[in-house]
Amino acid sequence: MSNFTFVSQPVLGGFKQECKGVSIIEQTKLGIVSVACPNDGDAALAASIQKAFGCSLPKVSGVEVSDSGTMRWLGLQPQQWFVLFEHSAEQGAPLATIKDELGDTAYCTDQSDSWVSLAVSGPLAITALERICPIDLHLSVFPVGTVARTTMEHLGVIITRTGDEEFLMMSATSSADSFLHAITLSVKNITA
Amino acid sequence: MSQTNRIDGGLVNRNQSYSFKFNNETMHGYGGDTLASALIANGVKLVGRSFKYHRPRGIMSAGAEEANAMVQLRTGAYTEPNTRATVAELFDGLEAKSQNHRGPLGFDVMAANDFLSPFLSAGFYYKTFMWPKALWEKFYEPVIRASAGLGSLSGENDPDQYDKGFLHCDLLIIGAGPSGLAAALTAGRAGARVILADEDFIMGGRLNSETHTVDNMPGSTWAETATAELYQMENVRMMTRTTVYGAYDHGIFGALERCTDHLFDGSGKPRQILWRIYSKQSLLCAGSTERSIAFGNNDRPGIMMAGAVRSYVNRYGVTPGKRVSVFTNNDDGWRTAIDLKAKGIDVTAVIDTRSIPAPYNVPNAATIMGCRVIDTVGRKGIHTIMLSSGQTMKTDCLAVSGGWSPNVHLTCHQRGRPTWNEKQACFVPGGDLPVGMSVAGAANGDMTLQSALTAGHNGASSILSSLGMSDAGSKIASASEESAKVSAFWHVTESKSRAWVDLQNDVTTKDIGQSFREGFKSVEHLKRYTTLGMATDQGKTANVLGLAIMAECSGKTIEQTGTTIFRPPYTPIPMGALAGRARGKDFRPFRLTPSHKFAEEKNAAFVETGMWLRGQWYPIAGETHWRESCDREVRATRESVGVCDVTTLGKIDIQGRDAAAFLDRVYANTFGTLAVGKVRYGLMLREDGIVMDDGTTARMGEHHFVMTTTTANAVSVFRHMEFCRQCLWPNMDVHLISATEQWAQYAVAGPNSRKTLQNLVDKEFDISNEAFPFMACGEVTVAGGIPARLFRISFSGELAYEIAVPTRYGDSMIRAIMQAGEEYNIVPYGTEALGVMRIEKGHAAGNELCGTTTAANLGLGMMVSKKKDCIGNVLSQREGLNPEKPLQLVGFKPVDTSISLSAGAHFVTKGAEATMANDQGWMTSVAYSPILNHSIGLGLIEDGKNRMGEIVTAANPLKQSSVDVEIVSAHFVDPDGDRLRV
Repeated sequence: MSNFTFVSQPVLGGFKQECKGVSIIEQTKLGIVSVACPNDGDAALAASIQKAFGCSLPKVSGVEVSDSGTMRWLGLQPQQWFVLFEHSAEQGAPLATIKDELGDTAYCTDQSDSWVSLAVSGPLAITALERICPIDLHLSVFPVGTVARTTMEHLGVIITRTGDEEFLMMSATSSADSFLHAITLSVKNITA
Repeated sequence: MSQTNRIDGGLVNRNQSYSFKFNNETMHGYGGDTLASALIANGVKLVGRSFKYHRPRGIMSAGAEEANAMVQLRTGAYTEPNTRATVAELFDGLEAKSQNHRGPLGFDVMAANDFLSPFLSAGFYYKTFMWPKALWEKFYEPVIRASAGLGSLSGENDPDQYDKGFLHCDLLIIGAGPSGLAAALTAGRAGARVILADEDFIMGGRLNSETHTVDNMPGSTWAETATAELYQMENVRMMTRTTVYGAYDHGIFGALERCTDHLFDGSGKPRQILWRIYSKQSLLCAGSTERSIAFGNNDRPGIMMAGAVRSYVNRYGVTPGKRVSVFTNNDDGWRTAIDLKAKGIDVTAVIDTRSIPAPYNVPNAATIMGCRVIDTVGRKGIHTIMLSSGQTMKTDCLAVSGGWSPNVHLTCHQRGRPTWNEKQACFVPGGDLPVGMSVAGAANGDMTLQSALTAGHNGASSILSSLGMSDAGSKIASASEESAKVSAFWHVTESKSRAWVDLQNDVTTKDIGQSFREGFKSVEHLKRYTTLGMATDQGKTANVLGLAIMAECSGKTIEQTGTTIFRPPYTPIPMGALAGRARGKDFRPFRLTPSHKFAEEKNAAFVETGMWLRGQWYPIAGETHWRESCDREVRATRESVGVCDVTTLGKIDIQGRDAAAFLDRVYANTFGTLAVGKVRYGLMLREDGIVMDDGTTARMGEHHFVMTTTTANAVSVFRHMEFCRQCLWPNMDVHLISATEQWAQYAVAGPNSRKTLQNLVDKEFDISNEAFPFMACGEVTVAGGIPARLFRISFSGELAYEIAVPTRYGDSMIRAIMQAGEEYNIVPYGTEALGVMRIEKGHAAGNELCGTTTAANLGLGMMVSKKKDCIGNVLSQREGLNPEKPLQLVGFKPVDTSISLSAGAHFVTKGAEATMANDQGWMTSVAYSPILNHSIGLGLIEDGKNRMGEIVTAANPLKQSSVDVEIVSAHFVDPDGDRLRV
C-alpha cells in the first residue's frame, strides 16, 4: 500500500540551542557505521580503507579523516571503529555506503539510529561539560582528533573533539532526552 | 543595634553596608564580614545553647572548627540548621536564628539539664531508661529524640539546586594560606595546571588575620597581590569558598564549592557544586587549628581562641571585648595581646602556664607567668576570671591558646596515622600519605610564617621536578620573624568546676576520666562512650586535648595513646550536594521507546522497567480500572490483532566466521544447524548451570546473527558475551555490537496479524504461511521501500510477528501498523496484556528465570545439548540440581475459580500447615485470564509434571490467604501450538 506516511524523525526533533558561549546542535544527518576487523584481517581491511577512503585506520582513541574530508573514523576499541559521515534518509541505508566498499574485509553494522549526536561548541563548552564529563578535556590531554568512551550522568557517551572548542557527543537514542537534559542543564548552570 | 564593637581597620568593605537579622533583631554589618564577626560587631555574645546541658555559649573560633556558634540560616524551605556562624558569609537580608533552646535564647527552660548534670555524665543513656521496659518506646525514646539534636529541619523539600563536576590538574593545592599561595605561585609560574582551593571567601589564610609582613608588605596585602597574579594565569584555577573534604584513591579528591551561599538570592543557579578532582600530585597546605586548655567553666560566652580574637580584630575590624585577658601556654598567644594593644584595646592580663621569662612586653597589662586560670564567672558572658595564684580579675573576653594542631585530616583519609611531635606538642603527618600527596606549611608543623612560605615554595618545586618541569626561578618570599615556642599544657588540675574539652558535645575532663575508669580506654572507645570529637566540628579543637587527658589517665604517652581515625568529610557536606542533580524525575536517566509519543496520545499508563518507560495498558473511554483495559487488549489480540512495542528487548548483532560456533558455546542449545532465514529460541546458562537468560536468535546470513535478550538482561548478556569473546575464546572470529537502539521493533499478534502486515509490507515480499512459516526471518521493506526486518515469532501464543524498522521510523511505524490493522480493529496492547498472554501460553519470563532455576526446572532440560559443550553444561549436571523430584514449572488453577491467586504463595499438601518443612514450591506468576475467565498461575512445584490433577494448597501467610489449586498444564491456551503455525 502506498498511503502510509513514513517520516524520518530526528531523535530530538532537530534540537538547536545557541546561547551565551555554548551552542548545542543535534546532528540529524549523520550516518554511523560500526566496522569490525575479522581476525587476522588487519592488513586487508587497512588496504581496503586506504583504497576506498584514502585514510588509515586510527588507533584506539584516535580519529582519522578520509581524503575527501567527509568521513571520520573513530577508534573505539581494539578491532572496532565507528565511521561517521553525512547521510540523509533519502540516500537509502547508511550501511551500504561503507559495506559496499569494504566487502568481506570488515563486519559492518548500521548504528545510525542507535545514537543521538550533539555538537557542543563555544568558548564555554568545556566549562559546561566539566559538570558531567569525567574525562580531562584540556587541549593538551584531549586534542582535536581524539575520541573517548565515557559515562555522563550514568549514560554511555562517545565524545570526540572536532575543534579547539568543539565536541561531537553521542549517546543512546532511547535516553536522548536525559542526555540532552544533562547538557542543557550544565549550560544553564554555568551561564548567567 | 549599632555596631558597638566595630573598630578601625580590617579587610571588610565599609562602603558595603548589610542589614541582617539575628533572632528577629535587625543588625548591620559590612561586606567581608562573617555572621560571627557581624554579631560580635553588634555586641552579641550569647549565640546558642550547648548540646546536652543547654549552657549559654558564644563564638569561640573564627573558622571551620567552630563548636559553639551554630545557627539556623535563612527561612522556610531554605532553612539550614547547624550552620557555623564563623564561616557563614554575611549578606544583605541574611536571617539567622539561634538553636537548641526552648523559650528565648536568654531563658532556655532546658537549661535545667545543667543542674541535673551529675545524672547526665558520659554514657548515662547506656545505664538508664531501662525500667520499666515498656516505657522505652512510648516515653523515653520519644523524649530523648525530641531533646537531641541541635537545629531542626524545615520538613520541606530543599528548593535549592545542586550540581556536581569533574576537574583535572597537575597539582592540587589544598589551602591558600602562605604556604599554599607560595606553592601556587611557584607551580603556576612554571606553567603547571594548578588548582588552588580554599574554604574561605578570600585567599590568604592566616595572613589576613595576622600583622606579619611578607616581602616588606603587610601579609594580607602580599596575599592579595599573589592572588591577583594567580588569577591572571590561565593555567591556574582559583577556587575560593571550596573545601577539599576528602582524599580518595589514585589522587582523587572531593571538594565542595559553595556558589550562592553568600547571596540572598541564588537566581536558580546551583547553590553548591560537589567536585571530583583528579590530580597528578597534591600539596596539602591546610594550616593548623588552635586548641583550647581545659579549665573550670571554660565554655562561657566571651571565652575564645586567641588566634580567633586576632582574626576578629585584624581582619574583621571588630573586638570581642573591651577588656581582654589572654591565657596561653605558648608564644603565639602573646601575639593576641600585642595586636589588641596595637588596636588600642585594653589587655587586662596575659597568663602563661610556663614558668619562663615573658617572651614579649605588653604595656599596661599584667603578665603572670607560671599561672593558670582555674575558673570563670558570668553565665551569659564572662566577666571575671580566677587564677591559680588566688587573683581575681575582671575581663569581658578571655583569649585562650593551648597551641596549634596541624590539620592533618586529609593525610589520614586512607588510614594514614599522624605522628606525635613532642617539641611542637602536636601531631604531624606521618606514615603513608595518600598517593601523590605532599604536605607543607603549618599542616606539616611549619609553624612560623617564614617556614610555611619556604615549605610551600619547596614543596611545589619538588612536585614540578617529579612532573618533569622546573620552577621557573621563583624566589621564596621573606617574612617577618616570630617565635613559636610552646610547652604542652592540657588542663588545669586545680579547677573544681567542670572543665570542657569538647564544647560541641559537652564533654568534660571528668567525663574522660570516667570513661577511663569504666574501661573505655582506647581512643576509639573514648569517642563512642563520651561522644568526644563527634558532630559537625569532628573535634577539631577537642580531640588532641581529649586524648592527651586520656594519656594522663592511663599513664601512657600521647603517641602511645594515638588518635581516632580521620574520615571524610573534613567539614559537613549537605545531603543535597551529595545528591546533586539526581532528584525527582532526574534521579536517573529514563529511556523512551520509539512509540512513546503515540502511547501518550493513547493515554497509556506507563511502567518503569529498568530505565525504560513502557506502555502498561491503553485505557479507552469508559474504562475505569486497569483490568478492564488489559482484558480488552487480550481479547482483542486473541480474537483479531494487537500490537505491542517490544523495542526494549536487547538486540545484539553478532558477526564473524565463528559466530555460529560462538553461539553454540554461549547457548545451551545448538545454533550451528540453524538455517539462514530462520529463528530459534535460545536458552543461556550461567557457568553454574542456572538459567541466565532466554530469547530468540535469527540467522540473517551465514556469518551474521541477531540475538534478542530479555529487556532486563540486555546489558548483562552483552557484557557476558563480550567477556566470553575477549577472555575465554579470543581466537574466535566473532564480533558483537548492541543494536537495541537501532531498531524500533513491534510485536503484531493475533489471527489477523498476517493480514495486517500484508497491508504494510511491500508486495514483493511474500509473507504467506508457506513462504514465511513459523520461525522464519528476513529483511523486507515496508510502505514503499522503508527497510525492515521481519521475524515470525510469538510470545503471546498467537500467530504473530515481530517487525523492526530503523528507529527514526519508529513513530511512523506504529501509526502505520495501526492504520494497516484498522479494518481488523487492531489494538495497542501493553505489558500487562503481554504478561497475561504469556502466562496463558505458559512461557517462562523473569519471574521464572529468577536466578535459581535450571533448564530442567523450566521443562527445558532437553535443550541442554549433550552433543556439544556450552557454558553451564557441566555444572547443570550437578547432583544438587538434579534431585529425584525436581521443581517443575506447571500451571495452577483455583479449585474455586472465583478466587484470585497470588504470586509468591507457597505450595503445601492440602490441609497441611504452611511451614518451611512442608514447602513444595511456589507460585511464580499469576494473572486473570479473560479467555478462561478465572485466575491462573504458573509455579514451580516438586515433581509437578507427574502430579497433574492433584489439588494442593497455595498458602500465602503474608496475605493470610490459603487457596486450593489444581495442578494443570502450564499451557492454558493452545497447548498444541496450532495457532502459531496457521
